Amino acid sequence: MEHEREIMDVAIEAGHILLENGAEIFRVEETVYRISRHYGIDSGSIFTLSNGLFVTADSVGAEPFSKVIHVPVGSAHLDRVAAVNQLSREIEEGRFTVSQARAELERIRRMPGKTSRMQVIGAAMGSAGFAYIYGGSPVDSLAAFLAGAILYVYILFVSRPHLSKMVGSITGGAVATAASMLLYALGLGEHLNYIVIGAVVSLIPGVAFTNAIRDITDENYLAGVVRMLDALLVFFCIAMGVGMVYAVVQGLMGGAAL
Amino acid sequence: MNLFAQILAAVLGTVGFSIMFSVPREYYPLCGFVGGAGWMIYCLVLPYAAAPGATLAAAVLVVFLSRLFAVWRRCPVTIFLIPGIIPLVPGGDIYWMAYYIVMDQVETAAEKGFEAVKIAVAIVLGIVFVFQIPQKAFRRVIDAVRKS
Repeated sequence: MEHEREIMDVAIEAGHILLENGAEIFRVEETVYRISRHYGIDSGSIFTLSNGLFVTADSVGAEPFSKVIHVPVGSAHLDRVAAVNQLSREIEEGRFTVSQARAELERIRRMPGKTSRMQVIGAAMGSAGFAYIYGGSPVDSLAAFLAGAILYVYILFVSRPHLSKMVGSITGGAVATAASMLLYALGLGEHLNYIVIGAVVSLIPGVAFTNAIRDITDENYLAGVVRMLDALLVFFCIAMGVGMVYAVVQGLMGGAAL
Repeated sequence: MNLFAQILAAVLGTVGFSIMFSVPREYYPLCGFVGGAGWMIYCLVLPYAAAPGATLAAAVLVVFLSRLFAVWRRCPVTIFLIPGIIPLVPGGDIYWMAYYIVMDQVETAAEKGFEAVKIAVAIVLGIVFVFQIPQKAFRRVIDAVRKS
């Protein structure tokens, strides 16, 4: 089987894209198995961690194959997860040759995400909505909209490209809180607390948290626990960032402003 | 009653998160529906139960609808589940915990922190149990709806 390497590369690439963009471990492994099996490799084996893939294949008459891939977890692009899922289904229906599948994966990898402007608007909408459902008034919601937008600009241009996750989350929590306080001091908003709660929501590690639960449920404990730790750490860092700004302001102004 | 405004805000927030997570555009309405429906149940149950109980009821519906829509539209359940579950995440309680720690009211802070843990456990239970329902059951529901 001279194609073995090529087939496994396609299967691994599919798994790589899934893991990188916010899929659960079960889906990653299932997809790699499905693709390799469809193209005739039954000896494929995969082990997945939250940030890495270990794949081997050892078919009769072919060179043993093994590969370890480090997958740094990026921000979630669920459109890519959906696209790979669709591709894997179509591969099983026999609609793709190996090289076509490779080209399609290449296209999926390059799928443009949402533009920065759309993402900022999305984050701001999230902030506005959550400020309201957590108890704020419509005006608080408006203030959270602005503060959430400011936070997401910070995330896109400062923390994501330049800072580690921990420092990014702490400073992100601080930026959101400071922006909320500034708007509140300028007279926009009625309850500072709800504005801050809304403003920070885009930092909430929703993908890590949900996937952690699902991985643990699927008995992928190792990946699940790492993701849960990741989520808890981010929650903790956000709280720390918020708390730090409060502590500083309280120290400077004796708590009158809060 | 402002239940309608609450649901609207939850839909808005959920769609906002869908945009942030790059959910394909055609799924925005369904994501918003999942988030809004979950929050509606939360609001309706809250007068009769504590927050973790209301969260459990809402999480069950969110996961159920997410799986149903995933089978219907043949796409990963993650697309609906992640944005839809976010309104239930105890972000508010974690905020209050941090707030009361800074205010030196450690007991209140501990209370809020424990409440956040209970709500998180409720979400976990909702996800764990509804994922036990076999995929075939959802398939059948969808097929039955298609036929009728």
